Amino acid sequence: MVEGEPTVRVELPTGLREYAGGRDSFEVRAGTLADAVRALNAQFPGLAYRLLDDQGRMRRYVLVFVNEDPVAHLEPEAVRLRDGDTVHIVPSVAGG
Amino acid sequence: MAAIKKGDTVVLVGTRKGLFLFHSRDRRRWQSRGPFLRGQEVRHAILDPRDGKTVYAGGTDEHWGPAIARSTDFGGRWTMGEEGPRYSKESGLTATRVWQLQAGEDGDLWAGVEPAGLFRSGDGGKTWASVDGLNYRPERKDWQPGGGGLVLHTILPYPGEPNRMLVGISSSGVFGTHDGGATWQEMNGGVRKYEGGVMKDNVIGSCPHKIARDARDPAVLYMQNHVGVYRRRRGDPGWTIIEEGLPKIEKKVPASFGFPMASHPHDAGTAYVVPLEGDFNRVTPKGAMAVYRTRNGGNRWQRLSKGLPQKDAWFTVLRDALRTDDGDPAGVYVGTTTGQLYASRNEGDSWQLLADHLNGIQSVEAGTVGGR
Repeated sequence: MVEGEPTVRVELPTGLREYAGGRDSFEVRAGTLADAVRALNAQFPGLAYRLLDDQGRMRRYVLVFVNEDPVAHLEPEAVRLRDGDTVHIVPSVAGG
Repeated sequence: MAAIKKGDTVVLVGTRKGLFLFHSRDRRRWQSRGPFLRGQEVRHAILDPRDGKTVYAGGTDEHWGPAIARSTDFGGRWTMGEEGPRYSKESGLTATRVWQLQAGEDGDLWAGVEPAGLFRSGDGGKTWASVDGLNYRPERKDWQPGGGGLVLHTILPYPGEPNRMLVGISSSGVFGTHDGGATWQEMNGGVRKYEGGVMKDNVIGSCPHKIARDARDPAVLYMQNHVGVYRRRRGDPGWTIIEEGLPKIEKKVPASFGFPMASHPHDAGTAYVVPLEGDFNRVTPKGAMAVYRTRNGGNRWQRLSKGLPQKDAWFTVLRDALRTDDGDPAGVYVGTTTGQLYASRNEGDSWQLLADHLNGIQSVEAGTVGGR
């Protein structure tokens, strides 16, 4: 954890748990969504690849909510997090 | 689960919903394993011919991206690199799907992805490096997608010469390198233009569907293209049409349409295709399935249908869903988009239904456990 950064909770969906040691909820210190992804990737290398495309944006069918606000369309570096926020990562309802 | 032993034939079947593995000692009685990579679309999987036991599978999870998985115990345990093939930040591109895997001549593993790009791994798929000489060549701006997207779907290393390789990109063409991927030349000469006439080499715009090397002379190539079936021999200035005996789209368009092309594992001049009705209706002609074989380098094709459905068989056979094993006589395997897997243990003379009710078959590969 990064001293001085807000403490936030990150909730992962079922499909990502196999890349996160079987867990679905994490507390990390992160000032931005990008920081939160980096913090998770430090614990579980490869998890960031599952979330971010080659340009560092959230993958096309990955939805992200900070509390109740959708933020997946924003640059992860630009999504500011505050103490006590919950980041929900959700697969979009899509596919066949 | 039945054991897989050295000398068994293994058939890997990539489907829209996972990977399946079939194995047999005698190619008469088969056992199955899978599904592996559940929920992922597996466009291609290979049995590494260098050891005859390592399976690589290119899977795509529509939510969590593409990845290449590796198993050395036929699906008991899978490992994945931390990342799959990735484009550079500067390129503005994102790899969305793995279309092709191929073992290289010098221990490398190659991957072809969508949007079209070639990547190399020197550590069995743990990490990947872009082949910049192809992926970022200035002419890329003119590459156009085909119906399946802009994809690099064929990778053909040259046996014994690690610096030589050929790739197929839809819908841009065939590209060859002689310097390990630093520079590439278009190889589309002789291919029909959509508007009439034929293309020249060193231009782009052709849509190769699948290319295979001849068993005896790797410089001899066979290609199923969007607009016909072709052969290219050592020193030829371009591709030659080889369609005698194949069904044609219609009289006005004399080309033969289809997706796959597979060559025999041992015999010179022997190759297989599965013609479809045409690009306007990509199904088996007249609802009757047939594989066509040439034994003379494409001078003449023979229809093979014994054991294949001849009524109400309106499906598609995709570009990687036809392959041979390395047996003698050769086994031939073909998968359909409606989930049937057919196998022949006598070079295509007759066929048996090996599996029914799979999900749409994307690819078929066959090999011998422990190599041959």
